[in-house]
Amino acid sequence: MQIIKTLPLSLLVLCTGCMERTDLPPEDFDAAGRGLFIVCEGNFQYGNATLNYYNPADNSVQHEVFIRANGMKLGDVANYMTVYDNRAWIVVNNSHVIFAINPVTFKEVGRISDFTSPREICFVSPDKAYVSQLWDNRIFIINPQTYSITGYITVPGMDTARGSTEQMVKYGDYVYCSCWSYQRTVIKIDTKTDRVVQTIDVGIQPSSMALDRDGKLWVLTDGGYDGSPYGHETPTLSKIDAETGAIEKQMKFKLQDSPRALQLNATRDTLYWLNDHVWRMSIEAKRLPLRPFINGRGTKYYSMTIDPSNSDVYVADAIDYSQQGMIYRYTSSGNLVNQFYVGVNPGAFCWNDSKQEGRGK
Amino acid sequence: MKRLVLGLYVTVITPCLCYGGEADSTAWRLDELLVTTRKPLKEIGLQSTKIDSAALKENIAQSMADILTYNSALYVKSHGRATMSTIAFRGTSAGHTQVSWNGMRINSPMLGTTDFSTIPSYFIDKADLLHGTSGVSETGGGLGGIVNLGTSPDAAEGLRMQYVQGVGSFKTFDEFAKLSWRRKRLTLSTRIALSTSPNDYLYTNHDRKVNIYDDQHNIVGQYYPRERNSSGAFRDLHILQEAYYKPVTGQRIGFNLWYTDSRRELPLLTTDYGSERRFENVHRNGSLRCMASWNLYGEQWTVDVRSGYMYDRNHYNYSREMADGLWSKLTSSRSFSHTIYGKAEANWSPRRNIQIKADLAGHQYLVSSRDDQVVQVNGQDAVIGYNAQRFELSAAVTARWRPVDAVGISGILRQEICGRRIAPLIPALLADWRVLVHRFDKQTIFEWTLLASGSRNFRMPTLNDLFFMPGGNPQLRNEHGYSCDAGMKFSFSHARRLALELSANVFESRIYDWILWLPTTKGFFSPRNVKQVHAYGLESKLKGAVNLGGGWHTDISAAYSWTPSVNCGPAASAADQSVGRQLPYVPRTSASFIGRLAWNSWGFSYKWAHYSERFTMTSNQNTLSGSLPPYFMNNISIDKAFNIRQIGVHLRLAVNNLFNEDYISVLGRPMPGINYEFFVSVNL
Repeated sequence: MQIIKTLPLSLLVLCTGCMERTDLPPEDFDAAGRGLFIVCEGNFQYGNATLNYYNPADNSVQHEVFIRANGMKLGDVANYMTVYDNRAWIVVNNSHVIFAINPVTFKEVGRISDFTSPREICFVSPDKAYVSQLWDNRIFIINPQTYSITGYITVPGMDTARGSTEQMVKYGDYVYCSCWSYQRTVIKIDTKTDRVVQTIDVGIQPSSMALDRDGKLWVLTDGGYDGSPYGHETPTLSKIDAETGAIEKQMKFKLQDSPRALQLNATRDTLYWLNDHVWRMSIEAKRLPLRPFINGRGTKYYSMTIDPSNSDVYVADAIDYSQQGMIYRYTSSGNLVNQFYVGVNPGAFCWNDSKQEGRGK
Repeated sequence: MKRLVLGLYVTVITPCLCYGGEADSTAWRLDELLVTTRKPLKEIGLQSTKIDSAALKENIAQSMADILTYNSALYVKSHGRATMSTIAFRGTSAGHTQVSWNGMRINSPMLGTTDFSTIPSYFIDKADLLHGTSGVSETGGGLGGIVNLGTSPDAAEGLRMQYVQGVGSFKTFDEFAKLSWRRKRLTLSTRIALSTSPNDYLYTNHDRKVNIYDDQHNIVGQYYPRERNSSGAFRDLHILQEAYYKPVTGQRIGFNLWYTDSRRELPLLTTDYGSERRFENVHRNGSLRCMASWNLYGEQWTVDVRSGYMYDRNHYNYSREMADGLWSKLTSSRSFSHTIYGKAEANWSPRRNIQIKADLAGHQYLVSSRDDQVVQVNGQDAVIGYNAQRFELSAAVTARWRPVDAVGISGILRQEICGRRIAPLIPALLADWRVLVHRFDKQTIFEWTLLASGSRNFRMPTLNDLFFMPGGNPQLRNEHGYSCDAGMKFSFSHARRLALELSANVFESRIYDWILWLPTTKGFFSPRNVKQVHAYGLESKLKGAVNLGGGWHTDISAAYSWTPSVNCGPAASAADQSVGRQLPYVPRTSASFIGRLAWNSWGFSYKWAHYSERFTMTSNQNTLSGSLPPYFMNNISIDKAFNIRQIGVHLRLAVNNLFNEDYISVLGRPMPGINYEFFVSVNL
């Protein structure tokens, strides 16, 4: 039957041109109130990253809000988002751009480009922020007011070709930054001088970090991979005193584990991370938990965030990495309360809450 | 029906418009639509597509990707000239298409695919496609089918020269020269092709906007920019040297050497905000393919022994300028492969209606793949990459039998060995039945034939699948499956007036343990056996040629495929929406059409190609950020041939994207609007 339908259609258009692309008229949004941005990476080289918006109060979801609000694509591999100074900042890694949007209307208010391979953005003050990079041994310094690159922080001992700075956490006048790809350190940057003042060896490929209520910095390493010339070792969870930079405790996973997406709950006293399943552990715990908090059930958990208001757990399932991913929302006691589809490869979250800076990865 | 070979080439007429010495390029070929009441034994049950020799020589700017786009209903995935172009049969992937050149497999041993944009059509004299099961007659691993490309010696005696110059839009220059000489038993031929272009066409970028700011840096306006494809330059050089010698009647020794050197830039994505001037994305390729062959043609025996060597070098650089003169090299990929090849094939025909064929082919691969950007480990350099070698053996015995003239049966048993992997025996059975031959009169004949075939098949993981660093997975299982098809073919010809050929077949195939590269939690991709795929559908072809009289001729070629290719799971999780859906980047329907009208030495050609919507997600969802609408392309050309004394001159004007469509065929890759190229061919 389908053949009968399509064959005449094919013949009908034989002598016509009908592939013209139509421009998308921008749509108006009003997302006043509290909400959750879900940043979907899309597929590398497809340019199909998307931004989705979830209202936890009524469980409504708005898909592809960036392209709908602006009439243009978000880009290729959106990697990170944060809200600061009434603007939401989206780092689009392989588009080499950071967009600033109005978090209520989703309209673009500015952009900064010409990065090597931007990964995340960390605000130091209203007129200064750091942007970490892949394939570069420098952290870019930007002025969010003028949307311009104002300087660089060169990481000592890091070569350009395999340079990698990733997640950043602000602590007082310092910013800690994990050096991930083919690296093994966390660096401490003095935001007054924009210089690296301390380097902490935590193990192969520190991927994510979280700062708890006691001023302790928790760092997950992924341990590299089997056959890597850089080495393959047991992943670790390290507890670092953010004041001194001293490693106070280091807990080891199994060699084949891939822990990632370290998060803290609303009271910042319980750690959450992904490792096939969702795991959680008190910051006072002496050893890693034996049983997961939420079983993965065959999902490809890709990213996670914890609601800073009530500790609800939001976990993203990438499914097969080539279709719309699913977000599962659990209560802090592990009960599933909602689930909804977003875009391809939901890799980052950002809370849109005027009272505090959103972050999540 | 007597055993008399009724190879009545009713339409062995050659109303060729032989323009000087360039008969090949513009030939009007009724003779390629033969109605024969008896087919060769080697064609029993084969579902094949023969590309017309005239199509191969239409213009020098065309690659084999262009030829197959308009002369078949295969899916050609391409995003413009001189960019990676792959071919897929029957809803399978590009890696499921085996490609050979003069018998030697030229698929990349690392990727498993073949880039058809690197094969100029003027360097190919014969091209056949074997669909599905039919491919097992040549080799294993072609779960979709195989493409046989080859060259052949010139038939004409003496010295012949041809020079073609093409000048086109975007400062594109194509040059081709061929020098061939034949005397008695020796034939020599040299072909050179050079194509260059900055390829900097204009397009409207619909994927991003340029902001207009006021003095306070507020956005007061936005627009879609008109941009240049400013990093799409290419330079392709090909040299082909051939020599053929017939030491005695019934024997031929051949030598072929094909050298390629290309430099191709890869444009920025439409969503890339990086500076084009501070950016390098270049692929450099060099290859050398050598082949020596010996053929024996006897009454009962034909023997083909050949040996070859192939070298392939690929350098891919992706860099961005961090500061003036200081570049960050994101990727400096280097891969090298050496292939040593040997093949022996013998056909024995003890009786007129029986043929036994045995073939044995071996490929020894030695590859090296690395990234020149080293990692520092304790102050020492460590390279990310792998070296590997693998020997692949394919051996088969084929028996062909025509118990009666109208019926043919062919059975194949093939064995494939890849390194330590031994695939189970691959059986294939092919059959045809000429249901009807009706002669209306001495000059008019109608023939109706049924064909059917079935086989199992295997495809071994490629060397990158197994060993690529990072991500290679040595635990991968072979892809395996079965396919079968059944079809019919109608042929009709009437003297010097008309020839028509219509064929249609349905096919069914299942592929298990389909290999896909998927992201890992460590930040890189790794291949896994994840899917079962059910591909089925219909393929149909129509060819026709009509001699209208008064110097007028017309011929048409059309193809249509309906190829659902469905993911049968298993589901990745409860949320998986991909089960039961079409595979991404596989169109459900594809079609092509070529029509040519000629009057004496004038010719007009119209070409059209269509692919239905291609999904970019496994769930087949259409989103604003990732949809590819149906593809329709229209090209035309006008040509004129004449002689100046003994020099044949042929002029051609080709117009591509006739309706100046603003379109994409791959996400983030805009295509050029209407563009032109003018060719002058001189033949001595």
